[in-house]
Amino acid sequence: MPHEKLISLAEAVRRYTWDGMQYASGAALPVGSDAIVFGRELLRQNRKDLHAIFHCNTQQLNLLAAAGAVTRAECGFSGLEVFGFANGLRRAVESGRLALEDYSNLAIPLRLLGGALNWPFVPATVAIGSDIQYRSAFAPDDYPAQKKIPMVTDPFTGKEIGAFLPLRPDLAAIHVTLADPLGNAIILGTEWSRFELSRAAKKVVLIADALVDTACMRQFPNLVRIPDIIVEAVVHWPFAAWPQSSPGMYDADEEHMVAMNKALATEEGTAAYIRDYIDGVTDIPAYLDRIGRDKVEHLRRSSTSFLLDPFRQWLLAAEEVAP
Amino acid sequence: MSGLDYTRQEMMAIATGREIRDGELAIFGVGLSMLAGFFAQAHHAPNVRTMTEGGVYGATPVGGLPWGIECNRISSNATSFTNAIDALGFLVASGRCDVGIIGAAEVDKFGNVNTTGIWEGPIGPTFRPPKTRLTGAGGANDIACGAKRTIIMVSHERKRFSEKVAYISSPGYLEGGDARSRHGFNGGGPAAIVTTLGILRPHPETREFELASWFSFSNIEEIKANTGWDLKLAAGAHEAPEPTADELAALRRVDETGALRKKG
Repeated sequence: MPHEKLISLAEAVRRYTWDGMQYASGAALPVGSDAIVFGRELLRQNRKDLHAIFHCNTQQLNLLAAAGAVTRAECGFSGLEVFGFANGLRRAVESGRLALEDYSNLAIPLRLLGGALNWPFVPATVAIGSDIQYRSAFAPDDYPAQKKIPMVTDPFTGKEIGAFLPLRPDLAAIHVTLADPLGNAIILGTEWSRFELSRAAKKVVLIADALVDTACMRQFPNLVRIPDIIVEAVVHWPFAAWPQSSPGMYDADEEHMVAMNKALATEEGTAAYIRDYIDGVTDIPAYLDRIGRDKVEHLRRSSTSFLLDPFRQWLLAAEEVAP
Repeated sequence: MSGLDYTRQEMMAIATGREIRDGELAIFGVGLSMLAGFFAQAHHAPNVRTMTEGGVYGATPVGGLPWGIECNRISSNATSFTNAIDALGFLVASGRCDVGIIGAAEVDKFGNVNTTGIWEGPIGPTFRPPKTRLTGAGGANDIACGAKRTIIMVSHERKRFSEKVAYISSPGYLEGGDARSRHGFNGGGPAAIVTTLGILRPHPETREFELASWFSFSNIEEIKANTGWDLKLAAGAHEAPEPTADELAALRRVDETGALRKKG
């Protein structure tokens, strides 16, 4: 029998994370849906020495890197799209505090697919023949790198082809638009690599912007790309991807995207950001106050909000779902 | 001169958009390359089949340059949302995509692109952190490997046009000639480097990029002076046509927030 899996954010981090673990998040693109609140709680609980698997950098990895919580990271893309370079991640890489292993945006989901299928390797027709293959931040003296994307022989044609190492992260904290209390999830917007990630990770915690009754999942079963049987826990947290966007729910907070990235460019700015936006912001009301209630309403009036219309009748009110 | 007032960045976007043909399957990276691609759709390629690497199909930007692929400016009128393996894998790395537009921080004479970092001098045998870390490859590597042809769009400054890039993030013709064929890529490589000063195209055999066109406001000497290798003139090199009033109007409908008008 499926059972309810709602727990608090703090409990999820206490239960499923530890220092030195392989932690996957960054569930959509740099400015899109990501479980950024999970990263904020990782800092409140002082997690360290994380090995981050982020298909794309987001403000979550930018923050964790700026705060010194990550020592190794693997990414397909490490900027913030039109918002520019990710200053916190950049500072950590340039100083040598964080080893960033570069892949491409197709290489990462293919590695997750390989992990999900428990394959020994995945054939690579991209990321080969370039310095993504030849240079390894995890093995800097191995040049040209032999172990990062080694060459293998295609048994059918006899030609040489690259081999990607599959990924099996210890935990994936995955942002979803809607979840039910059992752990079924609907994603609005591109799922990017959340489907493969949810199958590759050893454990999955969902961070949902809103909760819905299971009847919603029964109405739209084709849209439930993450089913409850692979989910450990569900955390409900509105505006979980803020300052990034969540299609159907809220727009990117352009002002805070810029201000946050500027703060993360220095040690002092990072300390101030943690003091002002992370320490003590431990419950949902305090979090929404910190964003600013007017801002919350403004961001909610998104041109994408019609995407939520088919699901509104099943939305659960906060008091019905307190863990 | 046509008497029209436009910026060098607008000329670059229009020249890039002219490379896109009606009906093609096309992928545009986020940023200015997206404006160039959607300009083509708004102007001469209404049936271009567009996608972004997020697996966002059927969408056009609303309200200006999208901040990112999941931004509300590109997520509010899509007809399909899928995923990265679908867009970058099934439709691009497979060799199915006709054309992709990518950006570059640094490009070399064989069309290899660096978007990973800036080092002082060659990296050497030990991989060390860059002096300035850039964004990494993203989907550009997958497009450069898999699309039938790519268009590289880059601001023409000497520091960005090197004999050899410090780090190949996205492969062009590698060491030139038929070097690409030694690898298992499904795509054909860069067809043009379109810049704020002109258009470079690869020599059919050596694959070295040569000056094919300059713009009405630039000239051969200026372009050579802003290129870090000994730039040759391609056979049949000529001045590119200026933007027409229709082209400029179409571009500005797409570039609603004037991202391309900010710099001269």
